[in-house]
Amino acid sequence: MRLDFASMCPPVFRFRSAPLLAVVASFVLGACSNNPYPPAQQALREDGSPWLVRYGAMPEDPRSLDPQVCYDSVGKRILEPIQECLLEYHPFKTSPYELRPCLLTALPEKVERAEGGAIYRCTLQQGIYFHDDPCFPNGKGRELVAEDVRFAFQRMADPKVECPALSTLQDYVAGLGEAFESARKAGSFDYGKPLAGLQVTGRYTFEVHLSQPYPQILYWLAMPFAAPVAKEAVEYYDGKSHDGVARDHFRFHPVGTGPFRIAEWKRNSAIRLVRNPAYHTTRFPEDGWMPDQEALLRPLAGRSLPLVDEVHMTIFRETIPIFMLFRQGYLDGMGLGKDAFSSLMTPDRNLSPKYQERGVALHRDTEPSTFYMSLNMEDPILGPNRKLRQALSAAFNTQAYLDIFHNSVPIVAQQLLPPGIGGFQPDFRNPYGFDLAKAKALLAEAGYPNGRDASGKILELTFDVNANSADERLSAEFEQKQFEQLGIKIRVVENTFARLMEKLDQGSFQIASGSGWSADYPDPENFYFLYYSKNLPPAGKNASRYKNPEYDRIFEKMAVMENSPERQDLARHLTALLSEDVPHILLMHRSLFALTQPWAPRIQSNPMLEGGLKYVVLNNELRDQKRREWNRQALWPLGLLLGSLLLGTATAVRSYRKA
Amino acid sequence: MAFFDQLWVQNSLIALAYTLLAIFLIRRARSEHWTSAWARLRRDRTGLCSLGVILMYLIFGTLELIRVPTQQSSQSVLEILTAGIPQEKGYSAPLALTSLSVANPKPLKGRHLLGTDALGRDTLVQTLKATRTALLIGGLTSVIYIPLGVLLGLLAGYYRRWVDDLVQYLYSTIAAVPEILMLVAVLLVLGKGLGTMAIALGITGWVGLARLIRGETLRQVERPYVAAAKGMGQSDWKILSRHLLPNVMHLVVIKFVLGFSGLVLAEAVLSYLGVGSPVGSASWGAMIDAARSELSREPVVWWNLTAATLALFFLVPSLNLFGDALRRAFDPRRG
Repeated sequence: MRLDFASMCPPVFRFRSAPLLAVVASFVLGACSNNPYPPAQQALREDGSPWLVRYGAMPEDPRSLDPQVCYDSVGKRILEPIQECLLEYHPFKTSPYELRPCLLTALPEKVERAEGGAIYRCTLQQGIYFHDDPCFPNGKGRELVAEDVRFAFQRMADPKVECPALSTLQDYVAGLGEAFESARKAGSFDYGKPLAGLQVTGRYTFEVHLSQPYPQILYWLAMPFAAPVAKEAVEYYDGKSHDGVARDHFRFHPVGTGPFRIAEWKRNSAIRLVRNPAYHTTRFPEDGWMPDQEALLRPLAGRSLPLVDEVHMTIFRETIPIFMLFRQGYLDGMGLGKDAFSSLMTPDRNLSPKYQERGVALHRDTEPSTFYMSLNMEDPILGPNRKLRQALSAAFNTQAYLDIFHNSVPIVAQQLLPPGIGGFQPDFRNPYGFDLAKAKALLAEAGYPNGRDASGKILELTFDVNANSADERLSAEFEQKQFEQLGIKIRVVENTFARLMEKLDQGSFQIASGSGWSADYPDPENFYFLYYSKNLPPAGKNASRYKNPEYDRIFEKMAVMENSPERQDLARHLTALLSEDVPHILLMHRSLFALTQPWAPRIQSNPMLEGGLKYVVLNNELRDQKRREWNRQALWPLGLLLGSLLLGTATAVRSYRKA
Repeated sequence: MAFFDQLWVQNSLIALAYTLLAIFLIRRARSEHWTSAWARLRRDRTGLCSLGVILMYLIFGTLELIRVPTQQSSQSVLEILTAGIPQEKGYSAPLALTSLSVANPKPLKGRHLLGTDALGRDTLVQTLKATRTALLIGGLTSVIYIPLGVLLGLLAGYYRRWVDDLVQYLYSTIAAVPEILMLVAVLLVLGKGLGTMAIALGITGWVGLARLIRGETLRQVERPYVAAAKGMGQSDWKILSRHLLPNVMHLVVIKFVLGFSGLVLAEAVLSYLGVGSPVGSASWGAMIDAARSELSREPVVWWNLTAATLALFFLVPSLNLFGDALRRAFDPRRG
C-alpha cells in the first residue's frame, strides 16, 4: 500500500468543534456528565446483560468501502469488521505470520495446472448469510455461495471499478487481464462471460487458476479485493433515486457477511457499527498467544465473536480533543501523537507515573512499513554516478531527523525490508548510513570535491517535496540542510501531493521525498518488487526507475519460491544489491506508541489486521466507575460566574440610582 | 531565472532600488509642497517615532537582503553578524539553560533571548530575518502596483469617456472578487515563490490606488493650470507627466506607506495558509502557522508565535501611524 508522507504526521489541523461543542453544551445545560456521545442502540441485550459499546477515533471518513477498491488504512478499519475475507490472519501468530480460513472451510488445496501455473481449490463454509439489507428480497440476507466469489473476481477486472489489485493480479490470475482489455474496448464489462481464473465447481466450491506459480495468492485471498460480493447489493446501491428515494453508492453501503454492520454513518462526524446477530463464521482462537497473555486470553478461547455489541467511531481532524476525551475516559484507546508526547512519556520511554496509576497501558507498534526518498536513476547526473548517490545517502542524518520530527519513536531503516518480514536481517547496517566524513570522501570520488565539479561550479540538485503544512515545510528545510552539509546546493521545489505523485510517475525529479510502502502482505516479494525493472510507473511503483538485470533475475526467482532458507539467502542478496546501488535514501520503519484504558486491554497487536474489531473486549463496570471518578464536576466556576454576575448587577443598579 | 539567482545581480538591484528612492526624495525636496510638508512632519512626534521604528526594520531587512559569497555558497550580512549564536538541537524556551523536554532535558550551547524553534535556530534571529521577506514582498509588490495604479488612474481621470469606463470596469471586476480567493488562485497557477506572491498581490493591489488617483486627477483637470497648459498647446503626455503627476504624487507616497502594512499582513496570511513564502525563507506568517502545532504541545511552545506577533505588531501600526502623519503633513486642511 503506497503511503503518503502526510499520513505519518498528525492529521492536518483543521478545527472541528462539534464534539467539543457537545461537551460544552451538555455542561451548560446542566447535564450531569461530560459524555459527548448519543445513547447506544439499546441499553441491555435480549438476555438482560449490558449492551457493550466501544468508543474509538478516526482521522477522516473512509473514501470507499467497496471491497474491490478499498486500499487505505482508514477504509480498511471500517471494512474489516463488515466484510470478511476468504482467509484471515491469525491474530496472535505474527512470527511467522499465519493464515487461517475465514469464509473457507480450510486453507485452499494447491494442485498442478496442466498448462503450467497452479490451481487452488477452495470450499466455502455453508450457512453463512449476508447482512439483512433492503437489497435482498424481503430484506433478509441470502446465503453466501461460490458465485459471489466469482462476481468479486469479475469486478476486479471491470474497468469501471478501478481495482488497485488488478495491476498485480492480472499477471497471475488466468484471464483477468484479457477480461479487463476486452471490457475496456467494449466499453462495459460482460458479467455473463466466464472468467478462466475463477471457476465455480459447485454451490460452495470454486477454483482459482493461476497462469504461473504465485504462492502469494493466499495473501491476496486474505485481502478484501477477493472478498465475495452480493450482486444484488451492487445493483441496488447505484447512487440514484428510485421512486423518489435516494440510494447510497455501493462504496458507502457495503453489504458483507462480517461480525458488524454499519448502523449509522454521519458523514464527517461518526460511524456506528452494530453486531450482526447471525454471525458465526469464526470463533476466538484457542491458542497462539504469548504466555504473558494467558490470563487475559484463556477465558476468551473459543468464544463466539464479536465480543462487544457496538463500536462507535468518531472522526476527529484535530488531535487535541482525542487526548482530552481519552483523559476523561470517553475514548477507549488512542495513538500517541507529537503534542501529547512529552507530557505522557518519561525519559526511559515509559508511561508517566500519573497515567500508570490510572491503569493506562502503553504499546509500541512497529508497522511493516518503510519510508524513503527516491533518487531518480534516469537522471543524467544522479543516474550514472553511484558514488554521488552513496554520498547523498551518507550525508543524511536520519536519527536527527527522527529525533526532531518523530520524537525518536520510529526505527532508522537500514534496509528496504521492515522487521517482521521474511528476509529481514536484524544485524544488517546500511553501508551508506549517516557518516559525514565518509559522505564527503565519497562526493570527492564521485567527481565533486567539496561539492564542486571539475570547472569549479557548485553541484546543484533539485529536491521535490510535498510541503503544505508548517511541519512539512520545516522538515523540507531540515532535509535540505542535511544534503547541503556536503557543500552542494539543493533547490527545494514545493508540490501539492497530487503533483508530487505525478512527478514520481513521470520521472521528472532528481531527489523526491514522500515515498513509503506498507506491506500488503508479509512477504519480501511485496517490498523487493518496488525496484523490479518491469514495475515502472505509471503502472508500477518503481519510482526510482531502478534497472539492474542481476536484481531482476534474483527477484524473479525469489518471488515465486515458497519460504525456505534458500529464499532468505536470495532476499539477503537483493538487500546487498540495493544497499550498494542506493536508488533511495532510507528513512525509517514507522512505529507508533498507543495507549489503552484499563477497561479495554489490548487483545492483539497483529499489524496485518486493521484494528481487529471482532476481538476487542470491554469491562463495562470498570469504565463506568472510572468515568465517574475522572469527571467530578467542579462547581466553583459556576459560583464564580454567578458571583461576578451578581456583583456586576449590583454595581450597575447602584450607578443607575445615583444618576 | 538563473540571472536573478546571481548574487551581484541581487545586490545591485537592491542598491539600485535605494538609489532611485533617494533620488526621488531629493528631487521632490526642492518643491515647495514637499518642503512645507517636511516642516510639518518634523513637528509631528508620533510620525517621527514611527519613522524611527520603520527605519530599524528597514536596516534589519537590508542586512538580511544583502548576501555576500562565502567559500561554499553565500550568506547574508545578518547571518554573518549573528554567526556567534549557536544552533541547538530543537526547541528551547527563552533564556533556558536546557532544551525543551520534560523527559530528557539536555544542556544548551548558549542562551537565547527568545528561545529556539523546532530546528534549534534562535527565534530572535529568525524573526529579524523574516523582515527581509516582509520588505521584499512590500517592495516588489509596490514596484508592480504603483506604476499600474498611477498610469491607469491618470488616464481614466484625464481622458474620461471610454478610457474611464474601461478602467472602472477593470477595477470593479477585480474588486468584486474576494481578495484572498484571487490571491490563492493566482499563486496556485503561477506556483509558490516570493516573486509570484508579489505579482499576485500586485494584480489585486492597484485598484485602490487607481481609484484615488482617478479622483484626484478629475479634480486637478478642472484647475486653471491644466487649461492654461492645454491652451499653450502642450501635448497630452506632457500635461500628464509634467503637471498632473507631480500634483498627485503625495497620494502615491501616502498610499505606498499605508499599503505596505497591508502587504506585510497579506504575506503573513498567505504563508499561514501554506501558499506563501517558499521553504527556507523565514516569514512571520510561516512562524504563526507553525504555532498551530506548537500551541497544542505539552509544554506549550509559545515564543515563536509571540516573537512573530510582536514583530508584526510593531511594524504594522508604525507604518499606519507614519502614513497618517504623512497625510497630515501633505494635506493639513483635511488632516
